Amino acid sequence: MLREITLGQYYPAKSVLHTLDPRVKLFSTLIFIITLFSANNAILFAFVLITLFGIIKLSHVPFSFMVRGLRSIVVLLVIAGLFNMFLTPGKELFSFWIFSVSDVGLKNAAYMTARMVILIVGTSLLTLTTTPNQLTDGLEKSMGFLKKIRFPVHEIAMMMSIALRFIPILIEETDKIMKAQMARGADFETGGLIKKAKNMVPLLVPLFMSAFRRALDLSYAMEARCYNGGEGRTKMRPLKYSSLDQRAYICIVAFIIVFYVAKGLL
Amino acid sequence: MSIIRAKELVHEYIRRDDEGNIEGIEVALDHVNLNVELGQFISVLGHNGSGKSTFAKHINALLTPSEGTLFVDGMNTSDDEFTFAVRQTAGMVFQNPDNQIIASVVDEDVAFGPENIGVPTDEIIKRVEKSLKMVGMYKYKSHSPNKLSGGQKQRVAIAGVMAMEPKCIILDEPTAMLDPDGRKDVLQAVHTLNKEKGITVILITHYMEEVVDSDYVFVMEKGKVCMEGKPREIFKDVEALKSHSLDVPQVTLLAYELRKAGLPLPECILTRKELVAALKDLRVANASAAALAKPVKQAVKAKATADNVLILDHVSYKYSPDTAYEIKALDDVSLSIKEGEFIGIIGHTGSGKSTLVQHLNGLIKATEGGIYYRGQDIYDNDYDIKDLRTQVGMVFQYPEHQLFETTVFKDVQFGPKNQGLDEKEQIKRAYEALGLVGLPQDLYLASPFELSGGQKRRAAIAGVIAMKPAVLILDEPTAGLDPKGRDDILGLISDMHKKRGDTVILVSHSMEDVANYVDRIIVMDGGKPAFDGTPKEVFAHYKELESMGLAAPQVTYVMNDLKEEGFAVDVDVTTVEEAKQEILSVIN
Repeated sequence: MLREITLGQYYPAKSVLHTLDPRVKLFSTLIFIITLFSANNAILFAFVLITLFGIIKLSHVPFSFMVRGLRSIVVLLVIAGLFNMFLTPGKELFSFWIFSVSDVGLKNAAYMTARMVILIVGTSLLTLTTTPNQLTDGLEKSMGFLKKIRFPVHEIAMMMSIALRFIPILIEETDKIMKAQMARGADFETGGLIKKAKNMVPLLVPLFMSAFRRALDLSYAMEARCYNGGEGRTKMRPLKYSSLDQRAYICIVAFIIVFYVAKGLL
Repeated sequence: MSIIRAKELVHEYIRRDDEGNIEGIEVALDHVNLNVELGQFISVLGHNGSGKSTFAKHINALLTPSEGTLFVDGMNTSDDEFTFAVRQTAGMVFQNPDNQIIASVVDEDVAFGPENIGVPTDEIIKRVEKSLKMVGMYKYKSHSPNKLSGGQKQRVAIAGVMAMEPKCIILDEPTAMLDPDGRKDVLQAVHTLNKEKGITVILITHYMEEVVDSDYVFVMEKGKVCMEGKPREIFKDVEALKSHSLDVPQVTLLAYELRKAGLPLPECILTRKELVAALKDLRVANASAAALAKPVKQAVKAKATADNVLILDHVSYKYSPDTAYEIKALDDVSLSIKEGEFIGIIGHTGSGKSTLVQHLNGLIKATEGGIYYRGQDIYDNDYDIKDLRTQVGMVFQYPEHQLFETTVFKDVQFGPKNQGLDEKEQIKRAYEALGLVGLPQDLYLASPFELSGGQKRRAAIAGVIAMKPAVLILDEPTAGLDPKGRDDILGLISDMHKKRGDTVILVSHSMEDVANYVDRIIVMDGGKPAFDGTPKEVFAHYKELESMGLAAPQVTYVMNDLKEEGFAVDVDVTTVEEAKQEILSVIN
């Protein structure tokens, strides 16, 4: 049951999007988020949406895969939508019991939900077309300017990639410990919240012990292979911009200009 | 030319209390002197806690001497200036395959070392390719390490060290967590590096068979080098090795026992070939003996027919059914297990043995087929699966990793508590179980995390026994233990079986472990039982076993070789003692 959790899942395929430099994709995702939230009318909204569909088409990732990410947050979307609908003041459209729905509320709820859905689909496109390693490399490189203010960019990128490497291992380990404690009669399913939390102790203590043990082993293994922080490190696959990336940047800039010109006119 | 030279090397682990005062000093290395020449294949033996791993970390400058000096390729490891040069010269491979792979893709992991020391990009690509080819892992270069077997992961780790172009490679129990197939592949890779590339190898191990081919052996005990010499000189002294909690390869032990029984064999035989050749010489000298008739075969002791405690009826199990990733882990398995049987389930990793046993207490539910415990269908809606779990106790692999309570005693109480027994009974059960596993009483109230490896394992086993299961399943109970720890645990399981008369199922990939103890062996292969019978019956198929990535005990091979050479021996022996009797009866 724990194996079903997928995190930052990558969809292997050959597409323009897959071959783009991760920095381009990070930048375009950022632009996408900004424009999505500054789109305040239906036309701008449609513009962002159409662009997104075009990019999805380019990615060669099946659409069902994108939507899959939404399933886990349906509840959250519904709650957020309802709050917006009922708690925004404005001209009352209709009401029942203690709730009243205003025109502004209805509009806000619609925008809000649509934004969330598009946001998740759009950002999942980043993880679907970029391997975790490329992603951390891209982050490290594009956040490089932060090193000047002594922000540990390399260390954080390294931590991220190690975390991604060990998540599947720890999930498997959790499964194993759970089974072992169940074999000793432990019960992880029944009981109230407090009882359930208490029952987690036999799972969590061994899990933390194991994580610490692995961390210690790993630190020795890294040191033994001459790891000494980011200073003086080279890369087997250094990030290099290609002409494709340049064209992508031009497209992004064109998109920004069109968007804001349109926004100013409307 | 000397590559590693230790002079009066001392390492002390200093324990301090909260205020920083010294609480205790543990001497892990005690005035070690040794010298390793460039290009040698060195083995270091010693039981757990003998200081061998501490020594390995010194060669890599992960630890530095408290006293004395250690030179690696002429560099003093205590000198900070040389730390990285030392690590580059003497690379290190660790025991746990998972915990030393840093990247999520094989080739990126191999590149980690060269990247750290600032090798230019094109050179890294060349080195990664070369190193992966050396260990035969090149075709896996774009794989995720999570999809590889333990042996493959270790070979990736070796490639990761080789990509730094070291002169020397230190392997700290690289095979302890692997199955026989993985062990073979890793050792072969290491031997190739030594022979073809002239890399100095320092292999730390407690598998005696791995030591036989090395140039020189050091045996460590209590932080000291207590024996050293060529393998032949070391294994000559069986008694001394035993006193250091070690053992010798089965063939050597058999030859030693035969010599003790009066056969004029040469001292210290290391391989099967040598033993067979020596026995052949003996036969020529003693021609009349071979003419002797074959002794009457001992009747196999028949067990009284008992009731079936567990029945598996056409059980199949699929992982991720109806998806592209569907794996058939069990394929139409039908078995019956009798009350009081001592069964060994053997198979290589992925053969379905662990999946099989997890069905027996309902942790995994079969996708097809039925399982009956004492005649009751465990998949019935009103069947109490929690009760089944107390009836069929299960000790997982590395059970010590499940300990969680503040004291050993409380941890053992956990099972009985979940059974809903009253406090008095819980305490009684825990007390009995701890007595059965032979844990010293002064440890009952210690934190389980303070115990030694072997003690932790005992405590964890007690945690299951305390539930008084009628069937006890142990999944690889000896994994990662040294020879003495292994013998102790197996002896303990066997004793408990005799005392309690319960049904015991031992899952293992070591034939030698199992052969000495169990009455029945089930060999799993490809999700099906391939053989099922007494050890003798099963090991008669030693050639088929080999094709499944398993191996019969060494003595079985010796006897078959002897038979081929025309000795009138019975080939169905499985233990050293039986082999000795058989050979003696034929020769004399």
